Amino acid sequence: MKRIYNLILAAAVTSTLAACSSTPPRIEELEVARAVVPQVESSPRAGVAATNIAEARKSLDRANRLADSGGKVGDVEFEATVAARNAQIANEKILTAQAKEEIDKGQSERQAVLIEAREAESRRRAQQAQSAQQQAQMAEQRASSLEQELANLKAKKTDRGMVLTLGDVLFDTGLATLKPGAYSTIDRLATVLKEAQDRKVLIEGHTDSVGADDYNQQLSERRAAAVQTALLERGVSSSQITALGKGETFPVASNDNAGGRQQNRRVEMVFTDNASQVASDTQ
Amino acid sequence: MKTPNLRAGLPMLGMVAVGMLAGCSSVSDVTKERVARSESSVQQAQQTVGNSESGALELQRAKDNLATAQAALAKKEAQKAERYGQLAQLDAELAIAKSQSASARKAADEVLASIQTLRQEAARGVVANDQ
Repeated sequence: MKRIYNLILAAAVTSTLAACSSTPPRIEELEVARAVVPQVESSPRAGVAATNIAEARKSLDRANRLADSGGKVGDVEFEATVAARNAQIANEKILTAQAKEEIDKGQSERQAVLIEAREAESRRRAQQAQSAQQQAQMAEQRASSLEQELANLKAKKTDRGMVLTLGDVLFDTGLATLKPGAYSTIDRLATVLKEAQDRKVLIEGHTDSVGADDYNQQLSERRAAAVQTALLERGVSSSQITALGKGETFPVASNDNAGGRQQNRRVEMVFTDNASQVASDTQ
Repeated sequence: MKTPNLRAGLPMLGMVAVGMLAGCSSVSDVTKERVARSESSVQQAQQTVGNSESGALELQRAKDNLATAQAALAKKEAQKAERYGQLAQLDAELAIAKSQSASARKAADEVLASIQTLRQEAARGVVANDQ
């Protein structure tokens, strides 16, 4: 055991001696410098640290020469360290330059993204505006088709709105049933009312003064309700329609003659001008 | 042109002569200046690096080298003072360069991250009238 130990010791001593005498000893600092200096020299951004790189090269060359000519290890180490430090400084400067390039590029990219975003936003707005305009046009068209129909049906313009009168001839005498002759008018009104759902209609039944007031009141209510039912059957929303009977209290002509009385027996349909105005509010 | 050069050169010549006369027993002013310059570079590095991590190691090494240089100066070991002074100088410069590159990297990363965020916001259409 002891002999083996001695042998190892001897080997160690020999190798130590050999290391000391071997001409170019391995100097850590020199290896580092030899690795890092060419690295910064070959960088595409070497220009930003030209002085440091030149210094690094000068010191590395000196260190190499000293090492080759068997100069003092301390001298080689010093020159190699100077070379390595200069190369490291150069490397940091290169990294800084690289980061600054990224910042510059990033800022213009950021600008481009902002511009693109704003353009997209204005495109979106333009589209919204266009579709709003289209909707407005369509609403106007719907409204105008109601106005057109009312004009075709010879509705009269009054301060309460457009008033269309369904005459006595469209009802069975003394009854609240519509004659088929009224159907085409009702059909046309239903069609335009369904298109213009923001428009409301007030249906008022009226009678002449012949007969009891109660009877006339009820008849006027039933006739108004008959028109309302006809519109509902054709799909008009109940929220658009108000129906009421006015009895004999609102004659439009004299009740003294047959012609006048016939004019007084009627159902009036009042269409509001204003979409937001409720027909019954105008009473 | 010749006269000012001569004027500037004369004191230099004098200094060199003094240094040579003083010989090994004394340290030249050039070396003293070298160490003094290193000291101010280390101070500058201290300010730049501050308490941040980047460059802290190099700053410490610069301080150690400066201390060695100053000790050598006191012991009139000219070459040692000169060399450690130079190493202190280089380590101080490296500390500053590291600190600066770390801040530049951080700033660049922030810009890149902000672009990323902006892109996402733009995709969702929330970038209205920024700027």
